[in-house]
Amino acid sequence: MAETKKVIVKVKRQAGPNDPARREEFSLSWRPSMNVIICLRDIAENPVTRDGKKTTPITYDSNCLEEICGSCAMLINGKARMACSALVDQLEQPIRLEPLTKFPLVRDLSVDRQFMFESLKRVKAWIPIDGTYHLGEGPRVSPEVQAKGYPLSHCITCGNCLEVCPQVNEHNQFMGAAIISQVRLFNMHPTGAMNKRERLEAVMGPGGIQECANAQNCVKACPKGIPLTESIAEVNRDAWKQALLGWFLG
Amino acid sequence: MSDTASQPDASYLLRKLHSFTGVLPVGAFLAEHFWSNSAALVDPRKYDEVSRDLQTIPFRLVVEWAFIFLPILFHGLYGIYIWLRGKSNVSAYPWVGNWQYVAQRYTGLIAFAYIGWHLYTERWLTHGKSTYATVAQDMANPWYLAFFVVGILASSFHLGVGIWNFLCKWGLATTAKAQEAAGRLGVVIGVAFSFVGILIVLSFRLNWHPFAFYYINK
Ligand code: HEM
Ligand code: SF4
Ligand code: FES
Repeated sequence: MAETKKVIVKVKRQAGPNDPARREEFSLSWRPSMNVIICLRDIAENPVTRDGKKTTPITYDSNCLEEICGSCAMLINGKARMACSALVDQLEQPIRLEPLTKFPLVRDLSVDRQFMFESLKRVKAWIPIDGTYHLGEGPRVSPEVQAKGYPLSHCITCGNCLEVCPQVNEHNQFMGAAIISQVRLFNMHPTGAMNKRERLEAVMGPGGIQECANAQNCVKACPKGIPLTESIAEVNRDAWKQALLGWFLG
Repeated sequence: MSDTASQPDASYLLRKLHSFTGVLPVGAFLAEHFWSNSAALVDPRKYDEVSRDLQTIPFRLVVEWAFIFLPILFHGLYGIYIWLRGKSNVSAYPWVGNWQYVAQRYTGLIAFAYIGWHLYTERWLTHGKSTYATVAQDMANPWYLAFFVVGILASSFHLGVGIWNFLCKWGLATTAKAQEAAGRLGVVIGVAFSFVGILIVLSFRLNWHPFAFYYINK
């Protein structure tokens, strides 16, 4: 019998944000359709390194396993990707796994994306429909707006677009492409447009759209194929118009 | 609507001003500068006539400071500040836009150093009265010549990428298709400026005046 094919995985491990980092290498049995999350599960079942040392299971986030929840983003061979859709057969080995670098580390491959959720709150990335009384039906959304908005609604807040952006770093609190694209989405909705001015003002605040330098990495890294550069350009146009009008017309 | 809404951040306005000054007046001045210097392609006398006209405009110092020196100084210094607040990652993500991002910073810095030296040699040392002869003399020095070529190429590239950036960043080109078209416009501008700039250098260096037959004696 031929020996089973092996998959070599090299993981960066760190017990906590202030603990020293180390690398551990694992040798796993290959299976068809194997992805990176399956590798991490196999390690959890049998946490023994390639050279036979017993270790602990690796901490990582995942949930949907179908690129829909956004939790499993990590650096796979140095690139920001979703672990659940990264197929082992398409990856160079040893497969190097590291946590995203632009978010605070929790442990091993798990990071804290709170920054993105706070930014979404800052720009009011929702449509207010609740009142103390029945507000009645909202305006209809034209098919054209629906067609433009639908792809934007696919964002899974994975953070890949922030991870690959040279303007998101420790000197710069840039909110990133995903947030700006959500501003576009909620501003184009007829009910959401009622808060358009507030969203644009937030997006012109500290860490806002001005920090974008048009490297256009975000659109290449987005697992959902969201037209992020188009969103940024659209919001940029609305923003400077509002700033200029506000200046002249009060 | 809501009273809590804030005004645009100062960093927003400064960033927009940086972007705007890149095109107007700095980019426009680069175009004017290449245009008036291409008088060398006609005739040294034509060059000296054009120079004299420019050197004798009313309010010269005010115009120079308001539309040339201060905008370049602001755009350059704020550009370096922007640079320091970014963190390039082109080795991990070697995509075209990412390379342009890096190149935009280095060509800006080269242009800044070049412009400083250029002002010193062609404006300060000549007391603002350069002529065809003084420029030709500088170009005779191979080091000067090399710096001229590097400066012209860096500025032209920076302007070409800058026009593309500007069109995207002000929402004048929004869709992927429009931004590709804006990119092609940037390439045309960068190549055209490089080409004309190098022609002017050759004109001084080789005493070569391809449009000599245009010249009309005063
Ligand atoms: C020849 C003179 C120059 C011209 C014609 C010029 C023109 C431009 C233009 C049109 C832009 C695009 C504006 C935008 O990003 O929205 C730009 C951007 C930029 N310029 Fe210049 N520039 C010049 C000199 C400089 C200098 C001396 C520096 C200093 C390092 C510099 C640094 C930058 C940077 C960093 C950007 C990118 C800004 C960003 O990504 O947001 N430029 N420039
Ligand atoms: S825009 Fe794309 S890359 Fe950015 S968070 Fe959303 S899904 Fe992820
Ligand atoms: S596990 Fe949900 S996106 Fe990968």
